[in-house]
Amino acid sequence: MKKENDHGKPGHKYGMVINLDKCTGCGTCMVACAAENNVSVRPDQSDKERVITWMRLYRITNGKEFPDTEVSYFPRPCMHCDHHPPCVSVCVATATKLDFHTGIVSQIYTRCIGCRYCQAACPYGARYFNWWDAYFPKGKGLDRYLSPEVSPRMRGVVEKCTFCHHRLMRAKSQAYAEDRREIEEDQYQTACTEACPAGAITFGDLNNPEHQVSKLTKHPFTFRLLERIGTEPKVYYQSSRDWVRKLGDNFLPGEYQPVVNKTWMKEEWSTKPGRDTF
Amino acid sequence: MKLTRRNFIATVVGGVAGIQVTPLPWKFTDDVAIWTQNWPWVPVPPTGEFSEVSSVCNLCPGGCGISVRKVDNRAVKIEGRPDYPVNAGGICPVGMGGLQLLYNESLRFTGPMKRVGMRGSGEFQNISWDDAFRIIAGRISALRKSGRPEAIAAVDGNREGTTASALIERLMQAVGSPNYVRLPSLSDTYRMGNIVMEGRDAPVAYDLENSDFVLSFGCGLLEGWGAPGRVMNAWGMWHDANPAKRKTHIVQVESRASNTASKADLWVAPRPGTDAALALGLAHVIIRSGKYDAGFVAEHTFGFEDWQSTDGRPHSGFKTLVLKNYSPEQVSKITGVRPDVMVKLAAAFRLAKAPVAIYGKGKNDLNGSLYEFMAVQSLNALTGRINRPGGVLLPDPIPLNPLPYFERDDIASQGLKKPRLDRGGTQEYPFTQSLISNFADAINRSPKSPIDTLMVFSANPAFTLPDGGAFKNALAKIPFVVSFSPYRDETANMADLILPDCTYLEKMDDMVWPVGLQYPFYGLSKPVVKPIYDTRNCGDTVIEMAKAIGESVGSAFPWEGFEDVVKERAKGLYDAGGGRVSFDRAAPAWKPQNPKAGDKPGYNSFDDMWKKLMAGGLWYRPLDQAREWPWLFKTPSGQFEFYSQLIDQAIQRASAKDLRIAVRDDAACMAHYATPTSTANRSDYPLSMMPYEMINLASGWIPSPPFLYKTLPDTQLLKETSFAAVNPKTAAKYGLKQGDLVAVQSPVGEVQARIDLFGGAMPDIVYMPVGFGHTGYDEFLKGKGVNPNAIVQAEQDPVTGYPVWWNTRVKLVKV
Amino acid sequence: MKNRANSSKRPSQSGDASPPAGFFPKWLNINVAIQDVGFFLVGLIAALVVGWIIFPAVLYSKQAQPINFNHALHLNPDKVDGIEGEKKEEKCSFCHEFREDGTFAGIPRLAKCTECHEDPGSPLGETPEEKDLMTRYVATDQQIPWLVYSKQPDCVYFSHIAHVNMGKIACDTCHGDFAGNEKLPLYLENRLTGYSINIWGKRISGFYWNKKPSDRMKMDDCAECHTQMGQEQNNACFVCHK
Repeated sequence: MKKENDHGKPGHKYGMVINLDKCTGCGTCMVACAAENNVSVRPDQSDKERVITWMRLYRITNGKEFPDTEVSYFPRPCMHCDHHPPCVSVCVATATKLDFHTGIVSQIYTRCIGCRYCQAACPYGARYFNWWDAYFPKGKGLDRYLSPEVSPRMRGVVEKCTFCHHRLMRAKSQAYAEDRREIEEDQYQTACTEACPAGAITFGDLNNPEHQVSKLTKHPFTFRLLERIGTEPKVYYQSSRDWVRKLGDNFLPGEYQPVVNKTWMKEEWSTKPGRDTF
Repeated sequence: MKLTRRNFIATVVGGVAGIQVTPLPWKFTDDVAIWTQNWPWVPVPPTGEFSEVSSVCNLCPGGCGISVRKVDNRAVKIEGRPDYPVNAGGICPVGMGGLQLLYNESLRFTGPMKRVGMRGSGEFQNISWDDAFRIIAGRISALRKSGRPEAIAAVDGNREGTTASALIERLMQAVGSPNYVRLPSLSDTYRMGNIVMEGRDAPVAYDLENSDFVLSFGCGLLEGWGAPGRVMNAWGMWHDANPAKRKTHIVQVESRASNTASKADLWVAPRPGTDAALALGLAHVIIRSGKYDAGFVAEHTFGFEDWQSTDGRPHSGFKTLVLKNYSPEQVSKITGVRPDVMVKLAAAFRLAKAPVAIYGKGKNDLNGSLYEFMAVQSLNALTGRINRPGGVLLPDPIPLNPLPYFERDDIASQGLKKPRLDRGGTQEYPFTQSLISNFADAINRSPKSPIDTLMVFSANPAFTLPDGGAFKNALAKIPFVVSFSPYRDETANMADLILPDCTYLEKMDDMVWPVGLQYPFYGLSKPVVKPIYDTRNCGDTVIEMAKAIGESVGSAFPWEGFEDVVKERAKGLYDAGGGRVSFDRAAPAWKPQNPKAGDKPGYNSFDDMWKKLMAGGLWYRPLDQAREWPWLFKTPSGQFEFYSQLIDQAIQRASAKDLRIAVRDDAACMAHYATPTSTANRSDYPLSMMPYEMINLASGWIPSPPFLYKTLPDTQLLKETSFAAVNPKTAAKYGLKQGDLVAVQSPVGEVQARIDLFGGAMPDIVYMPVGFGHTGYDEFLKGKGVNPNAIVQAEQDPVTGYPVWWNTRVKLVKV
Repeated sequence: MKNRANSSKRPSQSGDASPPAGFFPKWLNINVAIQDVGFFLVGLIAALVVGWIIFPAVLYSKQAQPINFNHALHLNPDKVDGIEGEKKEEKCSFCHEFREDGTFAGIPRLAKCTECHEDPGSPLGETPEEKDLMTRYVATDQQIPWLVYSKQPDCVYFSHIAHVNMGKIACDTCHGDFAGNEKLPLYLENRLTGYSINIWGKRISGFYWNKKPSDRMKMDDCAECHTQMGQEQNNACFVCHK
């Protein structure tokens, strides 16, 4: 899995593990992301095809009848695909690229010509097109909360999650000021990771065995979205619930292999610990 | 020489050839490309020096520590503080979006204002602070002079125990009006429950982090109950390990598949308002098995076994009653929960090492029911989970200094002798301090409003009260309304005078004991940025106002400003000793700590403590898990009372009927379930409507930051319409499909919403989200969805008199 | 027009001042050709004048800095005491400082000036510029609206600390030598883009035989230098874009 960079040294490969058992569906990650990255907010946010949400919380249900219905949530940032990201291959303007030294898929707004080919190519719906200029009416003063670390976008370009790349640059500046070259695990964390009140998101370098993420990805409950299309997403999910894991990909009947585990009531379960025993 | 066509062409060709060897075309092309990348209307945020300011979030009673990132003087991001005992780094979405409440001119009042348009139109004119004080002080003085100080009323939405609230109450005392009205919240239900069962006027303290089995009766653990930062942090901790080896299990009792219910290890869905029956059903199973904590029950409780009062009358105890009335089969008929589920759940609760049963109703904003709380607390007592680690703890209230005594003048003394308009504290409502629903009712029923001037502090009752619009009607009748809100909310739009408060990021404010926390905690927020408009801290405004009224009112407020008052109160924390003003992440506040002999509090004088308190914004006393038993319960019996003698006394003074208690005799003094009464006809209104709260909409009087609307699914809000969740089976019964527009009609009104078919909704119940349907604020919030509070028809809860807002009869009519 | 068309077709019949027949091809009327070349040259020269002289003059607006800052004076230890530092870089960063978090303050704020020029009533020297500073800015506590010569657009992220501290690149490598500067140059702003002239470079042609890093600050220049210095990994888009 390790990629060699031009110097023959393994580069960083930043990735994320999201624990869906811990995820409470509160949406703090979405708000933290939008606030951190100057994401545009318009008066109508209910048109989900046009509203911009780099991190989006998908609400899923197990489809069972009352009182066995369950709701769960999928926080979905950009997957930062490690293997031929579909958006990168199709970009006609070289506005989006995969950086092999960080594993982060970049998006340069001033270079983007707004053809939306990448948006169509992305299997995860992680890319968003600016149908309008950002909403900052005169005299309202909303633009005063904008962060100078992320450039606000103009109408007609595509944008997406950057794994808070500016935070990596921030961490580097801090390191350089302290005469270090390497940055520690806790010094570069995305805004959503930091904000999650339940600590459901873990972020770090997948190439560094010391980092939490490299350990978590080995857990049997770990899976990725649409894993079988081979894009090698660097965002991993964990869930102890089979129905949630099953929704991570399109399975033919009988194709999905449940992870068998012991439950709270010491019986085998397939959907939720304890649920079937009552 | 004539410029012929040929010559012209030659010139042009020459020009074209020439221009190629100049930089013009290439530079021009490049510049045009760059020009298109820098439209002048795309904002360029100015950069500068970055800094972080620590404060405390005051948007809900949760008290999370926040760190605000600033660029020069601009606040650009709010983050959670990892060096804070409550939230340990994370915060909720509302707190995260707080900057949109600060930097939004059309959401806020930019200075003191006077109404010029029609009431409710939101048209105001700027006036100076001096003029504003002159108007309000003149009005109050005139009422006092005419001997009618009781015609002045205040509605206070600040939490009880905060300095702002103490000042407002003091103002009303000094002015001489008994009509100081607070908004009911879950904390009031807790307080009252603690008084009648434990004799303790103290907050409820659930030791969740140390529990291994949390049985939650209706608490929206993931919807914002308690201190959301703390609860969600605990949630993460509970789910840390391999799920198979998870130490703590969570069971949610709720009728709807909320986030908490879905994410819990087990979801039990009784019909709304039958939680008490379920808790007593579990008690029944445990008592019948004989495996209750007999030691605890015998030593520390009163009224479990049958007993005889001093007058020789025999009384049946809790045990007898529960065994008689709450067998799983009987309870199953009431709640709809299968008997075998109850048996298993009771066994699991009993077998857990440190179980705790907690009571709530969604968030903290609305009241609960006293008897439900008593039923849940009885379950804790039965299993000996009171004053035990991981159970319900009994800490003392925060030792803040009371405000000093002051002299009232005759007008005030006379005014205070008049009865309260809301009848709080009378024989009918013996434990209730204030009842805003009665207050509104009294105004609505009299031909002329008995209240002349109403002041509204940190509240938006015209929107938040589940009263079917009663308060809004009352507002229209009151001759003069003053709002202290920083935001253009519904109540403020009905006001005649605005004395705007600062937003929470611009002012000092205190946070007293986040709801449900198990250790005493005091938070102090400080201005993160200077007030960006001509607004003033409400505490300062009250002091200033009192001085403008003058006489004995002015002399009751000897302070220079709000900060002096906060400091004076905080001195009590120093005098009590034992508190800490800094927090070490390695020693979470909920972990029992063994204080070493040489342990120092981290400060050496009050001034030192105050400095550190201001800087860090926190004071807490590490967890004291179990306290000595003697003197712990201050009830008439000195024990935990299954049978509340205080309720008994109240019934003696009035009658069970006056207190609206449905049952008679001994059961009335103990936890019990009674079928709620409703005046609505069941055949006309076959369904019931239950408002539900979400974590991703702000609670109470706080407007939701527009960022939050990104998090809402389009099955909750679509364009201008919000959704009512109903079970597909119920919808089928009325021929309704997903997205159909319906009128939800109750006996008091109607709202229109779209149908969301949700399997997690209990059949025959319509669930409507709270927080939509604003008519105030700005284009982000105005006119989005409907407010279910507008159609709530609430009966009064027995004893407390608070509204039973979770059970409104409705019908659905397709539009 | 018809006449002219005819005359060009039959040159032999029309001209008396024509060169001897046979020197030029028959179809070429030499008078007309000279005229053509003449007009061509007029167009050409006009275009060159427009492109090389008028265009640059029109493209850039010239703005003077709000007040003059004399770098030479401040860096002269005989005249100004207290600008600490052994090396030139240390002296530069005495005012153009790095903050603790590694960000670069760039042009100093007024607070830096008032570290020395603290009392508006008692100037430290006798220059009119200082008087100006005192009355207009120090006394009123207004920030000086400096025009930043090397300001990059909002989409660019540039880390000074990476270049200066880690890359050991001297300040004047990119900014030119300002140390001996007595008068701040005019700020030239591109009317179309709003960029400073230093981005495209002072030379309007954009061609340099021996390009110095201080000549131009376009993206290609950054990338070229990174490649030359063996820092290709820093040519990834997000390293310099935000």
